[in-house]
Amino acid sequence: MYMKVREEKVIIVHVAQKMNGVFMEIKGNVFNIQRFTIHDGPGVRTEFFLKGCPLSCVWCSNPESQKPNIELGVYKKKCIGLKKCGACTEVCTSGALNFYRNKLVFINYDVCKNCHKCYEECPSDAIKMWGKMMSVEECMKAARADRGYYERSGGGITVSGGEPLLQADFVKELFAQCKEEGIDTCFESTFFGDWAKVEKLLPYTDLFISDIKHMDSEIHKKYTGVGNELILENLIKLSETGKPIIMRIPVIPNVNDDEVNIEKTADFLLNEMHGNVRTLQLLSYMRLGEEKYASINKEYAMADLKLNRKSFQKHVEKIAEYFNSRGIHTLVGTKEKE
Amino acid sequence: MSKFHTTAAGTEPFDHVYCLGYQVNHEDWSPYPRVNRLRQTFLDGKYWIDIERLRLVTEAYKAHPTEPRKLQVAYAFEHVLKNCTLYIYDDDLLVGEIAAPKKAAPIYPEFSVDWILKEATTFAKREHDEFYFRSDEEMNEAIELCKWWKGKTVADRIEGRLDWDQIKGSEAGAKIFQTNLYHYAGTGHLVIDYAKLMAVGYNGLIEEAEKNLVSLDKLAVDFGDKRDFYQAMIIELKAAVAYCERYAELCREKANETKDATRKDELLQMAENCHQIAGGTPQTFWQAMQLCQIATSLLEVEGNGHSISYGRMDQWLYPYYKKDLDRGVSKEEMLEIIEVMYVKMNNPTKLKDWGSTAVRNGRGFGGESLTVGGVDKDGNDATNDLTMLLLEGSAHTRMMVPWMAVRMHSKTPYELQVKTIECIRAGYGHPKIFNDNSAIKAMMTKGMPIEEARDYCVVGCVEPDLPGKEYGWHDAAYVNTVKMMEMVINGGKFLGTDEQIGPNTGDLTTYKTFDEVLESVDKQFEYWTTQMISSLNIIDSAHRERKPLPYLSSFYQNAMDTGRDLTEGGAKYNGIGPQAAGLGTCADILTTIKQLVFDEKKVTGEELLQAVTDNWEGHEKLYALVNSSKVHHYGNDDDYADEMFKFMFDCYTGHVKGHPTQRGGQFNPGVYSVNANVAMGLGTNATIDGRKYGEAISDNMGPVHTDGGSHDIAGPTALANSIAKVDHSKASNGTLLNVKFPQEAVAGVEGRDNLVNFVEEYINKGAMHVQFNVMSSATMRAAQKHPENYKDMLVRVAGYSAYFVELGKPLQKDLIQRTELHF
Repeated sequence: MYMKVREEKVIIVHVAQKMNGVFMEIKGNVFNIQRFTIHDGPGVRTEFFLKGCPLSCVWCSNPESQKPNIELGVYKKKCIGLKKCGACTEVCTSGALNFYRNKLVFINYDVCKNCHKCYEECPSDAIKMWGKMMSVEECMKAARADRGYYERSGGGITVSGGEPLLQADFVKELFAQCKEEGIDTCFESTFFGDWAKVEKLLPYTDLFISDIKHMDSEIHKKYTGVGNELILENLIKLSETGKPIIMRIPVIPNVNDDEVNIEKTADFLLNEMHGNVRTLQLLSYMRLGEEKYASINKEYAMADLKLNRKSFQKHVEKIAEYFNSRGIHTLVGTKEKE
Repeated sequence: MSKFHTTAAGTEPFDHVYCLGYQVNHEDWSPYPRVNRLRQTFLDGKYWIDIERLRLVTEAYKAHPTEPRKLQVAYAFEHVLKNCTLYIYDDDLLVGEIAAPKKAAPIYPEFSVDWILKEATTFAKREHDEFYFRSDEEMNEAIELCKWWKGKTVADRIEGRLDWDQIKGSEAGAKIFQTNLYHYAGTGHLVIDYAKLMAVGYNGLIEEAEKNLVSLDKLAVDFGDKRDFYQAMIIELKAAVAYCERYAELCREKANETKDATRKDELLQMAENCHQIAGGTPQTFWQAMQLCQIATSLLEVEGNGHSISYGRMDQWLYPYYKKDLDRGVSKEEMLEIIEVMYVKMNNPTKLKDWGSTAVRNGRGFGGESLTVGGVDKDGNDATNDLTMLLLEGSAHTRMMVPWMAVRMHSKTPYELQVKTIECIRAGYGHPKIFNDNSAIKAMMTKGMPIEEARDYCVVGCVEPDLPGKEYGWHDAAYVNTVKMMEMVINGGKFLGTDEQIGPNTGDLTTYKTFDEVLESVDKQFEYWTTQMISSLNIIDSAHRERKPLPYLSSFYQNAMDTGRDLTEGGAKYNGIGPQAAGLGTCADILTTIKQLVFDEKKVTGEELLQAVTDNWEGHEKLYALVNSSKVHHYGNDDDYADEMFKFMFDCYTGHVKGHPTQRGGQFNPGVYSVNANVAMGLGTNATIDGRKYGEAISDNMGPVHTDGGSHDIAGPTALANSIAKVDHSKASNGTLLNVKFPQEAVAGVEGRDNLVNFVEEYINKGAMHVQFNVMSSATMRAAQKHPENYKDMLVRVAGYSAYFVELGKPLQKDLIQRTELHF
């Protein structure tokens, strides 16, 4: 049996409830809608990135997705400066805005009152708002816009994050509406969450995508902030539902790319998940998201890593060969066919 | 992906992968060493000016001073073909040039000489598109000869008739519309009836002309005109026959000289081919291609027009392919001839005035489109083996010409979709894709019944045309709609000037409602399109008067039957097609005014007007805002902005479409700019969409990219949806969309299929044309050096896609490395 993990600390920002007889529409916190994504699931897809994640992987390329609340990010390159503009300072009453050499460099979230007025007034896209409360219908409008492309390519929508299980009720409503309209659905998750939430989604989800970051729970915790027990337990349950699953390994140098861990991962996929993995995709570590770390004034933990990209890529290809030799259909990258 | 299939096949599997993106230092593309050698020799050569045609034409006109113009042009054509130097190149399997060696531009004094006299000493010193006289003696001779032509040219007649209202908006004035192309040169932009030529040969056409000549009614008032016409046609067709025989003779001579037995056989066969097609009909595939080569190049000898295109070659050439295949000629042998032909198609070279060069760069004639695929006259798919072979030839040669076009429709077979995408993925910019549905509808707006409309092909860049039946004067003018908008915001004056150049229809300080702005747009567009249309009519009639085209006319059944030259309306369908540039810029200008001034009331019209008058200097906050994501922009599948594009599109096409031309027929608007948007931008003041003085205006149907930021940020499907919101058939002279994809996005089987599906859905939504750029890591490196030129290059990063140039240097480097590893 896997250990029960700590309670999720995150704030769920959406609710569906009746208040004074008025139905409050369920809303999700969406930090990005990306059209024409071709990597997270088959065909041409529209991908909804939901905000909030209980993990904080050191290699995370979407650091702006981690906090569950709406955040403001600063892109100082785009700031045209106090002298020529100053629109943000005119509306900020909390003193959260910090300038260096005339340009906005970071927002002090400790004092920020989250009024978002600086974002509204900024004329240059130097302040970006990460997260937007959206109704199912608003999301459906975006989803429908490209449905012709989905139908021809076998695509659809993908919900990712962050960790979308945090907003499972919203995702359920969204997916239910998609199925109502014949749009294919894909759910990408760490599966760090209550199985009951996954169960809610099962009837409306056509494809699941997940990943295994490390088989050793201690190491897992060291690099992601949480142990792996709940994740693995959920993955086993998921494999038993018979739903199509794409599994991934983010191959991180000196973290999870050693022989022992790779072998254990293969064992898990074959024995515990009964080999119910349509494709295993190895995602080579990429130096991603640094600009985003800077925008929310956060350290990029892997900044010092030096990597010979060519030899690392060869190494990843070797790992793929190993998985294939174990009978698991494995590719480097986000494709399913050679 | 298409549910329909075909058994049509070339020499390679339909899903043969060529490569992904442009590659520097690549290996030979063609499986034929001969083709690779011909290609390389061509690419290595320099661009010359050849004065032989100028000399011969001048001699002929001097020798026939009193003849009617139609006979003068016929004698000149005959004199050139009898006396011009002939060229046979090593390795070549086909003969026939444009009365000049390859990569050498002849001079056409019949059209214009003033610019030659003005620019002769600087052709070699141009920043681009340089040309060289072979010697100072030749240059001086050319200048002397051109002086004789002063006052006698098409351009002289035009210049004598334009009034000030017409001139002030033209290239001679404020460059609001540019009619340079046919002001200074021939028209071209047509496709002859190859099927008929192949079926009856030159002799068949001569017989028909002779028959029509003798059956003319001598009492008819136009008897003289028609008699001149048929006589001129017969002189020219007979000159073409004699020219073929000259080549047959030269091939025999060369065969005698060579010691190489294989080459001797080739040359003897080439001699036989030329002899056969001199008057007779082609009996083999090779002979059909030989006839096509000579007949087409002679159109350029006569008329100087560019974009003389090859029509639906997979259709008209098919009987010869089938016949040869049945008698044992292999597909490979025929493909080699196709590829040799393709390389040869690049030979014709055109010397243009500097102004025209700025609008359309390039020293080739250009625009030699070759169409494959599409439906037949009954609406069924017409794909055959040649469709595939002609695309293979394109991937094997990868040259500027031919400009391959694939027609697609709802039943285009899967195999052709994939073959097309494989060519596109190779990153050499061909083929372009056309939507039968919209193009056929556009053809029908020109009065054609559906059976004819279905036989359309592409000429030049994107203009749908009916082979052998339409003289469309496509590409007749480039219209800088952004300058018209400047009149709208500033009372008919250019910013910061006092001269009342257009009508005063209000300005940003006077408009009380947004509807008043739109009314003003409508009035300005009406005024300026009127000046342009009336100018083009004058240009058109100057061609009729000074440069009839009897040889060309012989390939048009209606001209042959009616005895009217093409310049007199001899074609069954006639038109003039001027195209708008910068409609995206205009749309974002309107959107910005609507949102900021009238809807949100964030700024006043006066402030916006002041900002652009100051070239945005001192208005940095406003400049940032109009370029930011807080303002609606065209190209993001956002109705607020897309409605404005639709308004602009309908406004331009509505004011142009339907006006009669002197040849009969009507004006047909196009919405494309080719690369003219860059040169046009150079002379255009700052605009409210966030463009500063000198920056390019928006290209073709595309969205706005300014130095302040790209305005389309929602990806290719959103862009495609925006483009498809207008009725493309209203632009019966064509629309054009450029789409760039990073090669990563189209890599692998899935990437290929995604592109196939993208195209299929884009077409399904009713857009008319699309072409792609697939980028390589070399391109990305270039993008690092010159980010200003690569603003809209999307790269798939990982969980998201981003604009390459907006990423940090380290990530850019990583992406470049990853791309290289991909190969």
